[in-house]
Amino acid sequence: MAKKRKHSETAVAAPQKKEEVAPERPKRTLLGWKDKEAAAVAAPAEDKDDEVHQPTNFRNKEKVLVTCSRRIAYRYRHLMLNVVSLLPHCKKDNKVESQSSKGVALSEMVELKSCSSCLFFECRKHKDLYLWMAKCPSGPSVKFLVNAVHTMEELKLTGNHLKGSRPLLTFSANFDKDAHWKLLKEMITQIFGVPKEHRKSKPYHDHVFVFSIVDDHIWFRNYQISVPHNESDKMARGGLDKMTLVEVGPRFCLNPIKIFGGSFGGPTLYENPFYISPNQIRALEKRKTAGKYAKKVKAKTRRKVHELSNQLEAGEFSEMWKDQ
Amino acid sequence: MRTSKLDSDMEDVEPMEGEVNGEFTDSDSDSEEEDVRKSAIPSKDAVYDRDAINDKLREISWPENLGWIHKLSLDINQEQDVDVNDDLAREMAFFAQASEGSRRGFEKNETMGIPFLRPLDYYGEMVKSDTHMLKVKSRLLADKRNMEESEERRKARDSKRQAKEVQAQKQKERAALKKSEIEAVKKWRKQRQQNGFPAAGGKKNGDEIGLEFGDGGKPFAKSNWQRPGVSPGDRSGGQGRMKSRNGAGKPVKKIVKRVRKDSKFGYGGRKGLKKQNTADTTDDFRGFRKAGGDAGTKRRRKQ
Repeated sequence: MAKKRKHSETAVAAPQKKEEVAPERPKRTLLGWKDKEAAAVAAPAEDKDDEVHQPTNFRNKEKVLVTCSRRIAYRYRHLMLNVVSLLPHCKKDNKVESQSSKGVALSEMVELKSCSSCLFFECRKHKDLYLWMAKCPSGPSVKFLVNAVHTMEELKLTGNHLKGSRPLLTFSANFDKDAHWKLLKEMITQIFGVPKEHRKSKPYHDHVFVFSIVDDHIWFRNYQISVPHNESDKMARGGLDKMTLVEVGPRFCLNPIKIFGGSFGGPTLYENPFYISPNQIRALEKRKTAGKYAKKVKAKTRRKVHELSNQLEAGEFSEMWKDQ
Repeated sequence: MRTSKLDSDMEDVEPMEGEVNGEFTDSDSDSEEEDVRKSAIPSKDAVYDRDAINDKLREISWPENLGWIHKLSLDINQEQDVDVNDDLAREMAFFAQASEGSRRGFEKNETMGIPFLRPLDYYGEMVKSDTHMLKVKSRLLADKRNMEESEERRKARDSKRQAKEVQAQKQKERAALKKSEIEAVKKWRKQRQQNGFPAAGGKKNGDEIGLEFGDGGKPFAKSNWQRPGVSPGDRSGGQGRMKSRNGAGKPVKKIVKRVRKDSKFGYGGRKGLKKQNTADTTDDFRGFRKAGGDAGTKRRRKQ
């Protein structure tokens, strides 16, 4: 099991600021744990990148807590389980109860499990799934509405990859167009990117995540990179010319609702102007079909009035059979 | 003692809570509501605090000169706008993005000398279980088989239809041929008839065989006397005329008895004594002229 961090460590994290560190590391309040501690506590120091300008002591210690709300539907629960299997640096936790003091309770729980971010799947009315993505101690949090869910168990998604291998994250270019997209991109990179040299991560890169913005929604796809094997030993089989991508799943589409300054709360930094809640959509649809009968009656009376006001002329043959 | 312990516990907990509390004093209502108060009109008063967002971004982001190997993120440019509702185009766009990304990632890894693709003999736990992959495989095979079967069925149907057409064609041809042949023969007969019978003893066309009939060797003309018991398909003509066609057309002497028997029973002898007393035969007195004499003599003798 993972080494549980003591309360002392998390307490240390809170007031920590990084201004006094060497210039190549600006203030990083989140990825907090200083490497001296890390070296003492965790595994022995690994090889770091030794290019010239790189911070040689950076270690991605991201941990994601994945939970869901209580009355979650089976489809969404499977989606959550798929996400858990995709991210080896996550911890799955029990279902979270009532909604009232949700923000507090969740932040506490994240701290308790010594995680630095959280993915919370909230299912409302057994129909709508909301995903909260939050960076925990003080970070921003985002609430999304999830659509178009396809889990990995669907038989049409035929790909497979190593469990825990590091994915390549691809973002479409529109992520750099606006500030809130940039923020989302950063959060996604940190949460969905598997840390290098994580204990449970596997060596090769055999799958790709696709995050792309279409119609102001973030679409997620996961593909396996498969190259037909000719020789058994060679790595690059004729370059990547014969590379094919097979979809592994899961698939979902995120609609950002709001971005908050704190974790699970805080000042609202961004609201999506195009967002209509699913309840409102349902209400609108009901209202559309509601007045059908009334509209029909109105249309009939209107027609009658119209006919009365504009009388039809008698046709040529309307008098023909009158005498008989 | 206990109370002091509790106090100390509270003190330990507080700094953490205090920090957390300070952040979301005014937030709960916002984050909890499921009906967000925004409408479909985009230009309404949506909050968009760009500066705060950028501040937050700076706070959380990793150092900039971090090696790519940590982030593993790539930005792909999408060439054209994709219509959301067109499923195929959208998925193609995602696929293109992924393949472009993986290609670039591969190149980057190549330059850094890091193995990228998984070798064949590397076995590890996969994200989908083996049983699941078996199900996938069986479904794929079933799909393929169904497709092939339907293809075969369609081909069989097509070929059957074609074969039928060809056969119908052939039959038509055959029937036409047969008809034309019969017509030709009929015409030939008519021609012969039209050209008249030659004078007694004379031969026409040189290919006539003067056969010894009871009638005195008439040339072959379609006589209206058909021997009763002779089946219509009998090619001997009822009197065995054609039968005796030898190489050079030399007349074959036939004994009268043979000729008579042939004409009575057709070529090949008595054939089961088929109908002999039909309407035609009752009116037919040809055979009686000769036989009448004998019968009469018998009676006369008796008397």
